[in-house]
Amino acid sequence: MTYWPPPLQQIIDEFKDCFDRMERYELLFDYANKLPHELQTKDWNDENRVQGCQSEAHVECILDENGGFQIHGAADANIVQGLIAILAIGVDGLPPSQVASLSPTFVDEMDVKASLTPSRANGFLNMFEMIRTTASDMSGV
Amino acid sequence: MGLDLEAIRSDFPILSRTMDGGRPLVYLDNAATTQKPKQVIEAMNSYYENSNSNVHRAVHTLAGEATEGYETARTEIAAFFGSPRDHLIFTSGTTEAINLVAYGWARANLSKGDVIVTTEMEHHADIVPWQILSKERGIEIRYIPLERDTLTLDMEAFEIAVTEASLVCVVHTSNVLGVRNDVERIIELSKSTGNDGEGAFVMIDAAQAAPHERINFVELGCDFLALSSHKMGGPTGIGALLVKPEIMASMDPFISGGDMIETVTLEGSTFQKGPQKFEAGTPRIAEAFGWHAAINWLSLLDMKEVHEHVSNLAKHTAAEMSKIPGIKIYGRHDLDTCSGVVSFLHEKIHAEDLAHLLDSGGFAVRTGHHCAQPLMEALGVASTARISFWLYNTQAEAESFIEYLTDIVERFS
Repeated sequence: MTYWPPPLQQIIDEFKDCFDRMERYELLFDYANKLPHELQTKDWNDENRVQGCQSEAHVECILDENGGFQIHGAADANIVQGLIAILAIGVDGLPPSQVASLSPTFVDEMDVKASLTPSRANGFLNMFEMIRTTASDMSGV
Repeated sequence: MGLDLEAIRSDFPILSRTMDGGRPLVYLDNAATTQKPKQVIEAMNSYYENSNSNVHRAVHTLAGEATEGYETARTEIAAFFGSPRDHLIFTSGTTEAINLVAYGWARANLSKGDVIVTTEMEHHADIVPWQILSKERGIEIRYIPLERDTLTLDMEAFEIAVTEASLVCVVHTSNVLGVRNDVERIIELSKSTGNDGEGAFVMIDAAQAAPHERINFVELGCDFLALSSHKMGGPTGIGALLVKPEIMASMDPFISGGDMIETVTLEGSTFQKGPQKFEAGTPRIAEAFGWHAAINWLSLLDMKEVHEHVSNLAKHTAAEMSKIPGIKIYGRHDLDTCSGVVSFLHEKIHAEDLAHLLDSGGFAVRTGHHCAQPLMEALGVASTARISFWLYNTQAEAESFIEYLTDIVERFS
């Protein structure tokens, strides 16, 4: 069994408990409202835009005052904003080196990938790679 | 008498498929592409199993069968659109058909200072080729706006613009709004007042009209008619441009190579006359067999009944959807001419989220700008969700869609 950071593991377990695809969507909608660091619309630009999403999705990564990783993001669709929120909560405050070594397979464990169309799944993977690359640059890994 | 929906549906194997959670498939993305009856699938399989060969070349039996099937398809498809066979050029679809007008006819016949009139309602396929041509040749494009309150073309603006037009390019029926333009009047005005009274050439994009309305190219009186097979039960990858022969003679080849020449020497080449001049290379043979089968299948139905059926489904569904809190409908479903398309948005749930949620209930719908970004801008939105009915959709499917959408809105807004 893959080791995930505890906040991410908790979210994975929540999704595993869902009864069906509709309930997983409801949970994603809930997470969309729990973005820890929302990127305001005025700060959306081409540089922080996630490619591969049909809707508008924007993500920026910074280090907090303790050197912990922080994801700021938002989207105009709830499902993709829910995915951003899960990642943002799941890795919040972690050392960037730990974020850089994460695998995107946690969405399979959540059984969320099956709920996503290829374009959305690709959008998610693009977002994940964007975050992982930034984390890697920040940690010098 | 009405359509025998049970018999019709039994011809479409995919409609018996079940989706996530054992729910039946409710296919409501027909404006993107329709499903295919088994007669089309069997015709294409039969071609590959029994007659596969190249056309117009060898003398062997298979080549003869392939050529006969391909050319019979041309004859029958042209006839379905009220046209002789020598009017029909096979293309990959409507997009290539319009590009053939741009590259084959307009480049040879229009020059700097000429005016092309098109509309805000067009699919990108009827905008981008003209923009490229305009940039290359200094041709002016004038866009007829949409009347914001009626969601129909501003015909007063058209009457003014058309007087200077050399070419008029208009979509017959909108893929977003389901609005049928008054193409008869547009053609009449173009011919009588266009180009300073000399008459303008007219290209009609009939991709969204042909699936539910019988179009007679000769009676309609336009110069070019662009069509796609896959939106009317036929396979993807094939369509046609219908062209009047005297105009076809003034067109240059768009794509050149084998099959479109008479002779080739190192000094130069001479070209075939008629449609083959524009069908270079090995054509879409199996697809022509498939489209022919779709035409034969559609010919068994009364297209007036088909139109009435899809239009009534759209009208009813749009009326019921508009009662759901937060749903806004884009289109004119009060008109009898409306197609099976219903575009909509919810004030709180993003269109793409709606599509995912509907998909979980087995409902295949489309979201996005529908390759009509200027129209989206005119509507003041970035995208819409869209359902689109065809002849196999039922009232029960419409009711179950309305019920499911109502549930989603209650649960997620």
